Amino acid sequence: MITQQVLDKLIQAVGKENVASEKEDLMVLSYDATPGLSHTPDAVVYPTSTEAVQAIIHIARDAGLPITPRGSGSGLSGGSIPVQGGIVVCLNRMNKILEIDEENLTATAQAGVITLDLANAVLEKGLFYPPDPASQKISTIGGNVMEDAGGLRCLKYGVTGDYIMSLTCVLPDGNVITTGGKSVKDVAGYSFKDLLISSEGTLGIITEVTVRLIPPPQDKRTMLAYFDDIKTAGKAVSSIIAAKIIPSTMEIMDKTTINCVEDYVSIGLPRDIAALLLIEVDGHPAVVEEDSVKVVDVLNIVGATEVSMAKNDEEAFELATARRFALSAMARVSPSTLMEDATVPRSYLAETFAEIERLAKKYDLTVGTFGHAGDGNLHPTVLCDERNADQMKRAHAFFDDLYEKVLGWGGTVSGEHGIGIAKKDYLARQIGPGGVDVMKRIKQAFDPDGILNPGKIFAEEQES
Amino acid sequence: MPEEIKLGNFTVKDAPKYEDILQCMRCGFCLPTCPTFSLTGRERSSPRGRVALARAVSEGRLEFNQVMKEEAFFCLDCRACTTACPSGVQAGSLMEICRAQASQQQPLPKWQAAFRDFVLKKMLPNPNLLETSMLPARLYQQLGIQWLVRHSKILKMGPEWINKAEGMMPSLQQPLRQQLPELSPARGEKRGTVAFFLGCVMTLMYAEVSRQTVKVLNHQGFDVITPKAQKCCGAPHMTEGDRETTRQLAKHNLDLFMELDVDAIVTDCAGCGAALKEYEELLAEREDQRKLEKFHHRIKDISEFVAEVGIRTEGLKPVNKVVTYHEPCHLCHAQGISKQPREVIKAIPGVEFREMKEANWCCGSAATFSLKFTEDSQKILDRKLNNVKDTDADVLITSNPGCHLQLAWGLREAKMRQPVQHLSELLGEATPD
Repeated sequence: MITQQVLDKLIQAVGKENVASEKEDLMVLSYDATPGLSHTPDAVVYPTSTEAVQAIIHIARDAGLPITPRGSGSGLSGGSIPVQGGIVVCLNRMNKILEIDEENLTATAQAGVITLDLANAVLEKGLFYPPDPASQKISTIGGNVMEDAGGLRCLKYGVTGDYIMSLTCVLPDGNVITTGGKSVKDVAGYSFKDLLISSEGTLGIITEVTVRLIPPPQDKRTMLAYFDDIKTAGKAVSSIIAAKIIPSTMEIMDKTTINCVEDYVSIGLPRDIAALLLIEVDGHPAVVEEDSVKVVDVLNIVGATEVSMAKNDEEAFELATARRFALSAMARVSPSTLMEDATVPRSYLAETFAEIERLAKKYDLTVGTFGHAGDGNLHPTVLCDERNADQMKRAHAFFDDLYEKVLGWGGTVSGEHGIGIAKKDYLARQIGPGGVDVMKRIKQAFDPDGILNPGKIFAEEQES
Repeated sequence: MPEEIKLGNFTVKDAPKYEDILQCMRCGFCLPTCPTFSLTGRERSSPRGRVALARAVSEGRLEFNQVMKEEAFFCLDCRACTTACPSGVQAGSLMEICRAQASQQQPLPKWQAAFRDFVLKKMLPNPNLLETSMLPARLYQQLGIQWLVRHSKILKMGPEWINKAEGMMPSLQQPLRQQLPELSPARGEKRGTVAFFLGCVMTLMYAEVSRQTVKVLNHQGFDVITPKAQKCCGAPHMTEGDRETTRQLAKHNLDLFMELDVDAIVTDCAGCGAALKEYEELLAEREDQRKLEKFHHRIKDISEFVAEVGIRTEGLKPVNKVVTYHEPCHLCHAQGISKQPREVIKAIPGVEFREMKEANWCCGSAATFSLKFTEDSQKILDRKLNNVKDTDADVLITSNPGCHLQLAWGLREAKMRQPVQHLSELLGEATPD
């Protein structure tokens, strides 16, 4: 429990309007977008500067209270849930874009800036920030860094971490560090910035982010391919890559997903096909032309039942937007949606789809699968009801079996959502005791008292 | 009986369904579309937060307390979150239900309740009483504004809203309901017959707009029947959480209009249209489902109707204006009608249409919100006015009296040059007399 004295100190540090401790304010910060997880904090603070974050950390340290950083709460592994109570540091009021540097091709923003706002702001200057997680309309840039968020364009352009030039970060001891800079090259000492990326708020609280920008592609073309068997779609993806074409986007949706999405967007997606691929190629107009012809050829050879081109930018945008709604749209048909983030080397895609089908049958579950097929990153989602204990047990068994295979193929338990609370057990299976041990030692070096986002990444028995 | 089971700390009467609450998977897609979250940055004032609070009440983790009531009424009921929600969560409807819960669980002191009942149960449902006097002072009382004066203390309203209420009043004309003939005949080749649902605010404050609506419909080739016995659609009652009176009004209007042999029931008030389309759900347990469905399908906003039958452009005079369009929440979000008004506007000869930024963002009117939360409403309005300014249009078009009042007042206060016109007025200008 937090004392009035500590609350007063927080108020003094950041102002009354930036502290809340009413029950109703706290209840609604007990969750993120991960199903079935919640824990109420003791107070929430909305800092508006790096100095304010520093002050909060000092107060929390003195009071022995844990701190959990939070952006928009759109995370999918429970990373921002305050599992041990304490203070939630909500960064959504640090939402200023500080600079767009056209000479160095960088943009600097406070951590709470919404990803899409940043992308749109640089676009106005004729520049391009490629990472586009499905939640870009809500997610914060700080949250993206902390989870190393991916998106629809990773296949060609990479993930959030590939665009981070510099981070300003408040460490658990209250020190502020800035790591990296605008220099293209920087090998001075350990690469702290890479350590902070995907650290899920366990090593420090990021307050400012400088990202790398690139010129936008001059042209693009969006294609839609339909399949009567999802495994064929998987084969198509590896065949396109094998043909030495790197599309910017290669997204997949299976029948269940298509139907849920179509229920919401009503843009005429076919409801009876087994799967579709949404493919986008971009770049120089001549290359786009050449690549799209090649992609269509491969699709036809592999056995797509139908291939079509988006008529215009508007239609292409509509299709990409529809895909971004996939997970939320599945909540239309079931009270709970248990999603995973399994990622395999792309050559194993067809096998992965086959395994998902087999396991869904074995455990008698309805599974909708969608994801970034081009990255080998799939989001099989069990449509379930968290009130049905037996069904939930089967859902977890489904994922246990699936990850066994995924790890066997050299895949990973998380492509882009992080470990958080939801996947702590799987992490140990992937990296082994040695891997966990070194990660814990890093955590300890940054945060010896364990006050920053405790209870995440490492399972209880792994915690010292 | 299963419906007698109490859901957590909700009362049995007019309780939300637990399944509807569970539908929210907390993805947060609603957050950037919510004007009150944008204002406060406070999760409890967001659709996701409000649904989470309702879930806590339904699971017995939270009493239906003052905060729940505050959030139910602070919600603009603009339904932008409904449009934005891929999971199909109806956070706006849920808050409307919570308003009904508030009136049961957080009752007003006796004299205030009596006055509220007088306005909602006696004045508004009775068109004759509503129209008896045209003195502005009486009108204030009839529209419940005086009720708000008397509530100003408990609603924590400052004195500034009284000025605003006065400033918002348009110049009054004779109420239209008494003047419109029961049947206005089609002109040119007849295409059909429609009934006209004439909203209370339209007949009292915007008589000229609705006169244009009828003229437009006639010119488009439709006989227009305006039943004199029609009553308030019930939206004000729904908004204030009085669902029982809403049901009575709904039943009256349903029976009255379903007796008519018409192709459609047209309204030029987005708020009324949204309410009429909700009768199906509101009366689901009391009326024949097929009758309700039929009624629902007949209800058409004027722009929806004209776009659907195809606008007849022969004989239209050019209107040489640059226009921009503000989407009423109760049209675009509550009814999903967004393309049609633009289609109609663009079809008018001479008109140059200029899209504004955030056209579907609330203007801050939201029934009595603009008077209860003057400061917040002003901030939402300013955002809208800036977007209007950027278009440099000659006219701002909208199609709902609440928005019309708020926007006209705002533009005047900001000394901007644009007049506000209802879409019917613009189309009426092009239509020969």
